[in-house]
Amino acid sequence: MATRNPMTGPSDIAVRLKDYFTGESCTFPEIGLLQPADPFLDTAGEDLRRRIFITSENGGRNLCLRPEFTIPVCLKHLEEGNGSGRYAYCGTVFRQRKFDAQEFTQAGIEDFGASDFNNADIQSLTNAIGALQAAGENDLELVLGDQAIFVALLEALEIPGAWRKKLVRGFGDKEILGDSLEKISNGMNDSFTDLPAVIRERLDSGNRDAVIDWLADEMASANLPLSGGRTPQAIADRLFEKAELASVKLSKPKRDALEAFLAIDVDIAEAADTLNSFEQTHAISLSGAKQAMLARIEGLADHASALSSMRYCAGFGRRLDYYTGIVFELYRPGLDKPVAGGGRYDRLMTLLGSPAIVPAVGFSIWVDRLTKAGK
Amino acid sequence: MTFSLAIPSKGRLKEQSIEMFAQAGFTLELPGDARSYQGVLKGVPGIDEGIDVAFLSATEIARELVNGNLHAGITGEDLAREITADAESSLDFAVRLGFGKADVVIAVPKAWADVDTMADLDDVAAEFRSRHGRRLRIATKYWQLTQHFFAGHGIAVYRIVESLGATEAAPSAGQADVIVDITSTGSTLKANQLKILSDGVILKSEANLIVSRTTGFSDQAQEISRQLRLAMATLVGN
Repeated sequence: MATRNPMTGPSDIAVRLKDYFTGESCTFPEIGLLQPADPFLDTAGEDLRRRIFITSENGGRNLCLRPEFTIPVCLKHLEEGNGSGRYAYCGTVFRQRKFDAQEFTQAGIEDFGASDFNNADIQSLTNAIGALQAAGENDLELVLGDQAIFVALLEALEIPGAWRKKLVRGFGDKEILGDSLEKISNGMNDSFTDLPAVIRERLDSGNRDAVIDWLADEMASANLPLSGGRTPQAIADRLFEKAELASVKLSKPKRDALEAFLAIDVDIAEAADTLNSFEQTHAISLSGAKQAMLARIEGLADHASALSSMRYCAGFGRRLDYYTGIVFELYRPGLDKPVAGGGRYDRLMTLLGSPAIVPAVGFSIWVDRLTKAGK
Repeated sequence: MTFSLAIPSKGRLKEQSIEMFAQAGFTLELPGDARSYQGVLKGVPGIDEGIDVAFLSATEIARELVNGNLHAGITGEDLAREITADAESSLDFAVRLGFGKADVVIAVPKAWADVDTMADLDDVAAEFRSRHGRRLRIATKYWQLTQHFFAGHGIAVYRIVESLGATEAAPSAGQADVIVDITSTGSTLKANQLKILSDGVILKSEANLIVSRTTGFSDQAQEISRQLRLAMATLVGN
């Protein structure tokens, strides 16, 4: 690990960040170094296991060294049962990484329960920029994306539900999304290779009950539990969905529209014109989602002085199923990794067990990547 | 010790490893005591005193090769690739030996008539939580192989349930929804009404002569390694 400059090391930055967060009326929840591992594995997926430090209690419960703050802060919020809250943190997190330090500092703000999404988004963005300025960063590059506009586009193009879900899932990953587009453009006729004739008939004749009966018999004969996992109904739903899509292909104009959209990468000053002319060219309306994005861009104007470049990348997103809206990253010129990243994740609280949807937006700063971290 | 070599201590893998050495023109001298876990391999040119052979569990051979406590060993590729996330950097899969063949596969209940491919499973996994209140569960002893394969198909949202035996029974026992397991004929899967996804073969495994990349080799050890590799490769014809 690089030695830290004692004069302007992370501890000095940490003080500045904490002062800034306090000035933004955030509270600092107590977050332990050891965290239950399941909430992380349940939300981000099993793949995370390779990237965190996991251990187990004598009782068998899995614990991990805090890999990030967002999930523990969410859990704290749920535990305390508050309607809304603004929380800040600054501390060490741990990840298994081959080439970078495995122990590093993250700081950020999580904002829960704000009903005015646009305002909360703008505030999160400006807080991220403000915190970085407080830490001495005065030359930043912003990249902005928004899954909600992509979702609006899929709706406007009347893409079938099953495809929509697949495409949204791939959003943010060019390769995966490209594969999915390719597949649905060619028609997924390769499916149903093994379907028994009896069920094929029932499927073709649209006899849903008969399909469910057959599936229930199959499950019973394999001693599969009929509840708690996939039910005959759930399987039947997907069978019909698949059968319906097996004969359709994504039309060329729609694919062209999707690809043209995903290729949009412009200075945010041109975002409005670009999206307007995109709508005209493809004769569709992105309506509310576009307006919301343009409003956020306007809200950024006050902070333009700290930003040497601001771009809107229509295809920029995070492949985590709880991210729902804007995402952003801030870069130091010349550094290929972001110094801060954030976004809206309205689906995380329900994944963590909240009975109600809690709107959530936040950002995290990679403190060790800052100029004054003394690298 | 100049050279440390290990072969599996029991079962078909042991018998076939011994058989293979014999066919390659070596003699594996076993001590009188049948329960002994040491032998000596004679007939390697230039090594009159022979090479010590340890009989270890197949999993242990994989681990000791990765840790650099063995120069070479015979074990299943599935075990070797499971023991570390980055097998190629610590292990040289020198010769595929043509026995102990079995596939590590992903299998789902036959009743899942809508699921034929990994893309189908991706759809099912993505919606599992919202439909059934929990993530899709996979029973397996192959953590590494499963995680690597699923990541390759862009699937992240699932949970692994460790299963160290009778994995094929996990779905009917309600412990998991699908399984990743090793199969040579597929008959156990069939008997449990499971089907292999059409693109669900994770690894076509067989016994390999594996040489460690994490241990030091003297000139003599290097030469022994070369001789063993050559003899085995010639025998299996590659």
